[in-house]
Amino acid sequence: MVAVLVRFIRWKALLPLSVVLGLIALWEILLADRTLKWAVESGGTAAVGARVDVGRATLGILDGHVTLEGLQVTDPNAPMTNMVEVAELIFDVGLLPALEKKIVIDSVAARGIRFGTPRQVSGAIPRKARDSASSSAVIDEFKRQVKVPPLELSTLTQSVNVGGIAADSLATLREARHTVAFADTAKAKLLADIEAADPRPTLDSAQALATRLQRASLRTLGMSGVRQAVTDVRRTLRDLGQLDDRLRALETETRGNAAGLQARLAAIPAARAEDYAYARSLLKLPSFDVPNIGPQLFSDVVAEKMAGVVYWLDRAEQYVPPGLQRQMQPGRDRARANGTDVLFPKAFVYPDFLMRMAELSLSIGGEGASAGNYSATIVGLTTQPAVLGAPTTFALSRTEGQTGPTDIRMNGFFDHRTAPVRDTLVAQFAGITLPSFPLGGLGGAVVLGTGYSVLTVERRGEALNSRWVWRAPNVTWQRDAARARPADARAAFVEDVLWRAMARIDSVEIDARVGGTLRHPTMAIRTNIADAVGNALREQLGDEVRRAEQQVRARVDALVEAEVAKARAAAAVAKAQVSERIASERARLEEEKAALESRLRDLTRIPGIR
Amino acid sequence: MMLALKFLQTLLKALNSDGTPGQVAMGMAVGLCFGLTPLVSLHNLFVLAVAMLTTLSFPGVFLGWAIATPLGFMLDPLFDRIGMALLTNDALAPIFTWIVNTPVIALSRMNNTVVLGSVVAWFVLLVPSYFLFRVLVHRYRADVYAHVQKWKVVQLVKGSQAYSLYRSWWPSS
Repeated sequence: MVAVLVRFIRWKALLPLSVVLGLIALWEILLADRTLKWAVESGGTAAVGARVDVGRATLGILDGHVTLEGLQVTDPNAPMTNMVEVAELIFDVGLLPALEKKIVIDSVAARGIRFGTPRQVSGAIPRKARDSASSSAVIDEFKRQVKVPPLELSTLTQSVNVGGIAADSLATLREARHTVAFADTAKAKLLADIEAADPRPTLDSAQALATRLQRASLRTLGMSGVRQAVTDVRRTLRDLGQLDDRLRALETETRGNAAGLQARLAAIPAARAEDYAYARSLLKLPSFDVPNIGPQLFSDVVAEKMAGVVYWLDRAEQYVPPGLQRQMQPGRDRARANGTDVLFPKAFVYPDFLMRMAELSLSIGGEGASAGNYSATIVGLTTQPAVLGAPTTFALSRTEGQTGPTDIRMNGFFDHRTAPVRDTLVAQFAGITLPSFPLGGLGGAVVLGTGYSVLTVERRGEALNSRWVWRAPNVTWQRDAARARPADARAAFVEDVLWRAMARIDSVEIDARVGGTLRHPTMAIRTNIADAVGNALREQLGDEVRRAEQQVRARVDALVEAEVAKARAAAAVAKAQVSERIASERARLEEEKAALESRLRDLTRIPGIR
Repeated sequence: MMLALKFLQTLLKALNSDGTPGQVAMGMAVGLCFGLTPLVSLHNLFVLAVAMLTTLSFPGVFLGWAIATPLGFMLDPLFDRIGMALLTNDALAPIFTWIVNTPVIALSRMNNTVVLGSVVAWFVLLVPSYFLFRVLVHRYRADVYAHVQKWKVVQLVKGSQAYSLYRSWWPSS
């Protein structure tokens, strides 16, 4: 056997093969730096969703050091700005895990980290088809769902045109028509069922038998005639019993339909309330409710800010999936089809990517507000937390600063070991220059100045609970002078009143809460500005709005009342007709049954008859 | 031009006289791997070693590679489906878990749908293609070769200056 195998070996090819393998190894070593640069850039770009550039990458194969110079990570929301730029990063990488195609970083040293630096070229990447249902779409959907239209002063003072409310768009009408249709269908079906059950032949036959036996006796029928009569009566009573069962079943069905009708009638007031709200929104009647005014003023700007948080939560979910289940990710780009890489995580081995610990001392230079020294710690950053068996924790704090914030602290964790994933972030900024908030629909902004801001984000599975608070003790108000004032004098007057009311506020607190789920978020914004705006609106326009609301209600009532009455009538008629029919049939059945039972008692008293 | 002619001649020589039909056919069947599966893969290094170290026809390997390369690109969607079916099969999960967590073997990228699907397809085709190629090489040597020599295009190539120059450099081929 061995001899046969040896015969097929081409020994002289050993040397050329060794040369070929050596050349391949040399090629790999020579290209290692380029391959590393490409891997960091392509992997980083895919993970961030915007370009990641590396100036130079060096791989020290023997000592296990990886050095990245000139790393630039584009801000996905601002392609001409780098989210972070690092002059030099040195990683201490494990060699053994590399043989398993895994990246395990034991420690990281960083130099020259800067945030928000400008880029020479745009870092935006073309959106691929597979991304359409991904993060960008999630962001767009988030904004679409939480944004509300700004305060519209121009419509406040306009006369209300209730004629614009179309009957066809009212839910009450649809509900009433469905009720009528349901009542008609139920009535027709039950009456058809009664007809199909057809009680009359059975009842007529019972009546005929009872009449025939009314004066019957042993003398008129004879012994055999009596026995036959008893048999006939018993059989007819059995038929009546079966008919009784069918009528009871129909009665039960009627009760069920009546309950359905009642439920539909009960839904009509709710639909009418919905129509009032719809008609109100159609005519853009203002709301004086403080919870509604906050979002009208600030939903635009808060949605933009929170979208960044949602983006990173979504990315973390995509690239750090929970559990030890099979995971899919797109294969790397190549001339052939990319395919899909299927990952098979396993406990107690190396994860595909792991950075055990990074202790970073960051120094941001210059005179800007962010200038100062920071320290950051990241522990257990991995793409397969279930394999690692520990959550990723991170903390950042400002250790020293000449100007700008007095205190910056950030900490949190990503626990994606098992589903549902849990992400928590708490970021506090004290003494920072807060952003200006445009006032939706009022043509101006509130400049918050120096203040305090705290962001808390908690995510458990799909459920999101986040809060962003801005507190500013000394705000200034900037009214947009270039903006055209409302053409209507009354609207212009109201706007002036609102600005005067807001100008009296020195200290502002804006408290934005985003709840619900990532896919169906809800947003509530409370602010003391909304109190002032609400009070001023109520003072100026309360009576007008109340009157307009009455007109809207009257119009909705006028459009739906006839149909609602028809629905109620149809329900009543259906119920009455069916119940009456069943009741009359049952009454006759009871009557015939009683007569036959009486005759049966008489006949069975005759000796010899049982 | 010279290299192309040399390559073409090597292939034709392989079909005509380089080794037994069985060796040429096995070379072609093994060579299919380079064309059907993504070239820069660890398993291809192993297949190359096998091709060089065994007595199968090496020019046959090139011929198989040339035949399979366009097929590989065309059949990628099919390989992707085969690979996905295998990788998502629960019964095979322990094997793949072992593969992706074992040093060196993990570098084979057998957890990629196209790589795995194409390797499996090649493996399935290996024996049937060997028999098919053996029959074809037999028939080529018996019937087609003499006929091909009479083709005008072959006569034209043989009569060209480039061919004369080539023969003057490699007279023995």
